Amino acid sequence: MSASTAGTAGTAPTDAPVRGSFHGLRDLPLVARQVYFEQLSFWLNPIGAALTIGFSVVFIVIFESTSGHSTIGYLAHINLGQYYLPAFATYGVMAACFNILAIQLVNRREMGLLKRLRLSPLPTWMLLAAVFISTMIVAGIQIVLVLLVGRFGYDVHGPADIGPFVLTLVVGMLCFTALGVGVSTLVPNADAAGPIVSLVFFILIALSGLYFPVKPGSGLATFTNFFPIRHLITASVNSFNGIPGTSVWNDLLVIAIWGAAGVFVAMRRWEWSPKRG
Amino acid sequence: MPAVSVNHLAKSYGDTVAVHDVSFEVQKGEVFALLGPNGAGKTTTVEILEGFRTRSAGHVETLGVDPADHATQRWLRTKIGVVLQELAIEPYYSVRQVLTRNAGYYPNPRPVDEVIELIGLDEKADERIKRLSGGQQRRLDVGLGIIGNPELLFLDEPTTGLDPSGRRDTWELIRRLAGAGTTVLLTTHYMDEVEALADRVAVLFGHEIVASGTPESIGGRDLGAVTIRFRLPEGVTAGELPVPAERADDGHVAIRTEDEVQVLHDLTGWALAGGHPLQGLSVLRLSLEDIYLGLTDAGGTGPGRTEAAEGAAAVTEAGR
Repeated sequence: MSASTAGTAGTAPTDAPVRGSFHGLRDLPLVARQVYFEQLSFWLNPIGAALTIGFSVVFIVIFESTSGHSTIGYLAHINLGQYYLPAFATYGVMAACFNILAIQLVNRREMGLLKRLRLSPLPTWMLLAAVFISTMIVAGIQIVLVLLVGRFGYDVHGPADIGPFVLTLVVGMLCFTALGVGVSTLVPNADAAGPIVSLVFFILIALSGLYFPVKPGSGLATFTNFFPIRHLITASVNSFNGIPGTSVWNDLLVIAIWGAAGVFVAMRRWEWSPKRG
Repeated sequence: MPAVSVNHLAKSYGDTVAVHDVSFEVQKGEVFALLGPNGAGKTTTVEILEGFRTRSAGHVETLGVDPADHATQRWLRTKIGVVLQELAIEPYYSVRQVLTRNAGYYPNPRPVDEVIELIGLDEKADERIKRLSGGQQRRLDVGLGIIGNPELLFLDEPTTGLDPSGRRDTWELIRRLAGAGTTVLLTTHYMDEVEALADRVAVLFGHEIVASGTPESIGGRDLGAVTIRFRLPEGVTAGELPVPAERADDGHVAIRTEDEVQVLHDLTGWALAGGHPLQGLSVLRLSLEDIYLGLTDAGGTGPGRTEAAEGAAAVTEAGR
């Protein structure tokens, strides 16, 4: 280490304690700054970023290319291409906000990174806000890419009901982020994070109708109706295609209930220190 | 007003006691060391002072506020710096990026380039952290602890994993920070680190403080027995010396005494009168390690127990 001056460490007099962890509008630039560093951290791992972003694009290319001219009778005879595009838009939401976020939070906690941030002046709310906004950006990029590939690569048109479609994706982001944070608190160590979170995630998205439409009333639909994934896919597909006689509200209510459960679990079980279970 | 004030601190996890009835103060500008074996409660105590853990009982103040008070925690954390026991740095950032990020958390941070120079990573400033050696990452950890220009710096075993050169450089940095007015609370297992840096030291053992004082006087170190050593003159047997002595294998003899002035007077008088050289004459006090082992293993039978440690324990008991 250098033998240069140690500077002016500790010479400033202790000023009067400032109370509160929220400093109003003065905090906004700090939130933006933290979002920048969250994004920087994401993109500085190019393989991870490419896999995250690329997965949904690869999926949509594969499924759109193989969907042919099949139509879905119980969905106003839309063709499969019109089904897969909004379905895979939700995949972008769920992958970024749930799967990747949960694994990332477990890894950060077990590496001691959350503990270090906890001991810095960065307030908890600011850290979580930045993580959430950064996650939304990644999810948003995936949605835009999927929509662009569908529109210009496979001539898929939509969204028909843009308001409900956007609302569905935003509610999905909020609730799956809450679920991602909640699930991260249930994972005991970094080694288990990938297998546990991904296994549950990929099984549920498959059963919930991401890879193939699941007819309402079927046993599989009855089972997966309990989980939020099917509701997110259904609301997205219905609003994107403007399916007559459908509404997103019931689906959004179920998703919101799951989101609230995620918040509850996160608040009860959140830990800054490694569990090393 | 002290920088840190701890009164009858206790912390339990269910039935497991982590610390019990711990009290001490750290004055502003002081380097204070907490010594103790693994599991003694050093890190728990420090984490309570940082506001990371809550206490079960007792009263604690850090820079004049209760570290458990959520209302002042954000303010408090702009005033303290922390170097954790375990490395925790995002692997994909560069040295400069992570220091720049953390500098933004503080109202009055040190310039990033100054910190990079202070921790000796000028050549690695733009290197990804995952490509740094363990020692370099440890230096960066120290850099993250001082980037906010803290009034109070918590160092939890800061030189673990550093090579001897890195340790000396870190010591030099800590000395200069302390010289500039930063209060330092240090936990360590290295006795030489305590002797090199600490103004005062407290030993935690069995979840409570068993001794405190300066490194020179703790545990009655300045009052206890000394060992006088020299090479036995040729043609002289140990039995001919004016004071009882034990012969060592290396041709030296050792005399343990608590009255070194009288013994040295008798010995040197005998040597001068008889023309006996006392080659390698030295007077050794108990080392800090002897004292520490005496304090932390006095009732045990562990391998660290030594005759000197027994002496240290006896002196400590007598001094209480």
